[in-house]
Amino acid sequence: MIRSRGSVLAASAFILAGLLLAAEAIVVKVQTTPLRRAPEFFAPEVAKLKAGDRLELLAVQGAWRQVKTAAGLTGWVHSSAADVAKFNLLAMSGGTKTETSAKEAALAGKGFSREIEQSYRAKNPGVSYAWVDKMIALGVPPGQVEDFIAKGKLGEAGGAR
Amino acid sequence: MTARRRPALFILTAVAVGLVVGQGCGQIRLPGKIGDAAQKAKDASKIVKVVRSGFGDITEEEEYYIGRSVAALILSRYAVLDRPPLTQYLNTLGQAVVLASDRPEIYAGWHFLVLDTDEVNALAAPGGLIFVTKGLLSLCPDEDTLAMILAHEIGHITAKHGLQAIKKSRLTEAFTALGAQAAEAYGPAELAQITSIFEGVLSDIVEKLVVNGYDRKSEHEADSLAVKIGAARGYDPNGLLRFLRTMVGDASAVSGKGWFKTHPTPEQRLEKTKAEIGRLKTAPALEDVRTQRFQLAMAHGR
Repeated sequence: MIRSRGSVLAASAFILAGLLLAAEAIVVKVQTTPLRRAPEFFAPEVAKLKAGDRLELLAVQGAWRQVKTAAGLTGWVHSSAADVAKFNLLAMSGGTKTETSAKEAALAGKGFSREIEQSYRAKNPGVSYAWVDKMIALGVPPGQVEDFIAKGKLGEAGGAR
Repeated sequence: MTARRRPALFILTAVAVGLVVGQGCGQIRLPGKIGDAAQKAKDASKIVKVVRSGFGDITEEEEYYIGRSVAALILSRYAVLDRPPLTQYLNTLGQAVVLASDRPEIYAGWHFLVLDTDEVNALAAPGGLIFVTKGLLSLCPDEDTLAMILAHEIGHITAKHGLQAIKKSRLTEAFTALGAQAAEAYGPAELAQITSIFEGVLSDIVEKLVVNGYDRKSEHEADSLAVKIGAARGYDPNGLLRFLRTMVGDASAVSGKGWFKTHPTPEQRLEKTKAEIGRLKTAPALEDVRTQRFQLAMAHGR
């Protein structure tokens, strides 16, 4: 009898803890970011994540977050690439959950976006984006950066953070 | 276990379950009249106001779109020095430095470009778009100095100094307009209004970046961040001192043009930066291998 009551208590606590932990999710906030095998910049890539992808937070190590994707893949992302859904948290203090989701839906694809840029460009045809697009397309392969760091005797490949 | 303790167990379990359920459902409010679009829009606007109030609430994606247009406006004032080997070197160096910052990943990545002018200047548009002039490169004696200048510009972006230049009233107006309509797309009137606010946002930032320059506090903060980021990467932070010394008494610094279009003079910045370097546990030293590759890359810019 005692054991079974103990089990009920333990189970309640377990359910409570489980439900609270399940709320620990982070969202990718950059266009794309690699899901890495280890908490290092040049670790092999497990998958490519994109803006808006929701990730289950498993562990924290410095600026790195160990996460699980919706597809069940586990790996590491840098905290500058994924964070708790900011508006959700902020809204909790002022609004209700229903309002938050309504607001999130309202903001999806909104804000200063491609649509606003297009509208600005139509109004200001003299402003050229040709070099901006070329600049955004400039890329350096991660291996090249790693090599540059090593050959330049610049310490740990990932920096101090 | 006695019968007396049974209710206590029940209460405990009920409280635990109540807590969990309360988290999920306790705050749900039933929707009002269906079809009351005006009220919905009003509510949405109110929520956005509550949720977004300052420059810190600008999303990564919005920062990127603001930065693209700021960059386009910078590029309408300056020509690009299009030398692929130099651009490639600058971008590799820049990537190495950003990895030591607290924002190594940014919406569409960090990108660097050389501007074809003798003016001594470096500019950082929000969203990770950094420009350095040919005139500035010609005054850098080594890779470490250039790395420290890039670290300073990276510092302006990680600290969101460009976004802070947006007038508070404009930001409030923007957040209200952006969230005012719950529909999927903006109507022509909303689009025109938001575009006009967007133009204002760009003008606030460009005025600060190109015309007036940052204030004393932002410049010192960027210098301080540069010392931290540069040294964490492995660069000699004294590179920043070398550059600031070059600028002491220089006509462009005295007249407040280019990189010194700010209130703190090179002398004031030197003093604070020296103190900042003094606070480091260890400061990395110069390496010949870096200076050599820097000189090779710079030869492409001449």
